[in-house]
Amino acid sequence: MKQEELKARLEEIKDKLIAIEQPRDNRIYLLCEAEDAYAVDKFLFEEMNLRFVITTGIDSDDCFEVLYHFANDETGTFVTTRAFIRDHENPSIESITPFIAGAEWIERETHDILGIDFKNHPNLRRLILSDDWPEGVYPLRKACVLSKAKELEKELENEKDTE
Amino acid sequence: MTEAFWIPFWILVFPGFLFTLGLGLVASYLVRKVSALVQYRVGPPVMQPFYDIMKLLGKEILIPQDAQQFVFKAAPLIGMAGVLLLSTMLGVNALWPERTFVGDIIVAIYLMVLPSLALILGASASASPHAAVGAAREMKLVMSYELGLVLAFVVVIIRTGGTLSLAAIGGQAPVIGISNFIAFAVSLLCIQAKLGYVPFDIAEAETELGAGVLMEYSGPLLAVWEVMHAMMLVALPMFLVMVFLGGFGAGGLGLLGGVLKYVLVLVLIILIKNTNPRVRIDQAMKFFWVYCGIAMVVAVVLATIGNIYGIARL
Amino acid sequence: MNWIRWLKKSPWVFHVNTGACNNCDIEIVDCLAPKHDIERFGIKLVGTPRHADALLVTGVGTRQAVPRLLEIYRQVPKPCVVFLIGACATGTGIFAGGYHVAGPVDEILKKEDPNAIIAYVPGCPPKPEAMISGIIKTLSTL
Repeated sequence: MKQEELKARLEEIKDKLIAIEQPRDNRIYLLCEAEDAYAVDKFLFEEMNLRFVITTGIDSDDCFEVLYHFANDETGTFVTTRAFIRDHENPSIESITPFIAGAEWIERETHDILGIDFKNHPNLRRLILSDDWPEGVYPLRKACVLSKAKELEKELENEKDTE
Repeated sequence: MTEAFWIPFWILVFPGFLFTLGLGLVASYLVRKVSALVQYRVGPPVMQPFYDIMKLLGKEILIPQDAQQFVFKAAPLIGMAGVLLLSTMLGVNALWPERTFVGDIIVAIYLMVLPSLALILGASASASPHAAVGAAREMKLVMSYELGLVLAFVVVIIRTGGTLSLAAIGGQAPVIGISNFIAFAVSLLCIQAKLGYVPFDIAEAETELGAGVLMEYSGPLLAVWEVMHAMMLVALPMFLVMVFLGGFGAGGLGLLGGVLKYVLVLVLIILIKNTNPRVRIDQAMKFFWVYCGIAMVVAVVLATIGNIYGIARL
Repeated sequence: MNWIRWLKKSPWVFHVNTGACNNCDIEIVDCLAPKHDIERFGIKLVGTPRHADALLVTGVGTRQAVPRLLEIYRQVPKPCVVFLIGACATGTGIFAGGYHVAGPVDEILKKEDPNAIIAYVPGCPPKPEAMISGIIKTLSTL
């Protein structure tokens, strides 16, 4: 669809968004809260037929962000949904795997590395961390320092030795 | 003195182990060099197959714990013994035709199966899933091409009057005819499969199965497999030359002609190897059972008709 | 008999990736393709470590890959040479101190087998010509 049609259709879900930003011609950001992300993504994927590209997870200072990138191949425009997860202790967001099967593994990877819980995900197992990596340590969180991870690992080994 | 000396000499030196191995290493080098030239590159030096075998003799043998130890170690030796006996028998029959006996072509056909059988046994004793798949594929391949190979020899036996003797077959000039030509073509493809060359290198299919049948072999045992393969490169084309192309004495050109015919068969094998992709096992089975099978039935019928009515062209 | 002199003439290689970005792996595959013609040195790519004389190890050595690398090393019949290809394998490269790095590969191999013969081919990624040069130089000094 052409650029004007794209922007016109985006007006339809304006009530779910905090803001729409367009820093460049081919880059549109839709900012929203985590609870609305599911509906926004469903609209982008099913109603507007954009192609799902990838998901990004960010650990900002006060919140977590999950970015869903969609592409409009006709004009080369990327439409990205920025979902803010305000709960910094136990972040969770609704998974989009039920209607986009291709998002299954990237959500597993985000869960592995950042610890974001994806609700209703069919298969939230470990994907890229090694099998002997301790549970509950999320390497790419800003609060996770490598030495703390090694401490936790030593604790777990000592527990195993004393068992 | 004579028999007790000559028979071990034939088996171990000429035309047995040392001669076949030496000629096999040269043939193996030829295969690699011609393949390299076809691919517009330089290729290995002359002694490369020899270096490969010497290097393998110096490595340690690792045998999997779950492998069937005796069969694992004995299989390469069985295969090598089969090819060794075959080449000895063929060489002695070529040079001293008075030593042939009735039915020696049957013995030769049986001996030709031994290397493939040994490969299957060794792979099955390996306790490895890759080797198991390789063994299953090799079994299916052997079951497919053996019929075509035997029927090809039946055609020649019919054409040369029905004597089951290599001397009777090899003593005649190459019999030109349609059925002979079909039989030669089919038997060349069967030899390609038996040697494990593309397009029928299904058993040792690299990039599909790791190393396939020879997955768990290492060191001197692998060297025995390589020696067996080199000797097969001598024995099998030589068998084809003796049965289809007139052997080493007849046809007017004598020994030099025989050598040239052997080189011709080798070059045909190399060219088929370099111009084809690998086929799947079901494609190979269909090829051998359906196409080669029908061609061989036609050839046998033509040969019988030609023999009964005395038509040479058939 | 000194078997190393035969090893120098016919080194069969097996490629192991212990967590590389695949750049070095692409260059290794490039090196083994007909253009650079390593068959003239007797080098052949084999499909199983049991046939190998030389391991081409790429990658930084992640926690997941290190036990598997040791298993493969034990399956290579000795004598064997280990070639560490690329900046990551020779000394963790840009991933030093990363959470997934289990240590430089050569220290892990030396802990497993103190007599391991290890050769280093640096580069990011090393060109196929550099890899061939590294292999030939190593083999000629053995």
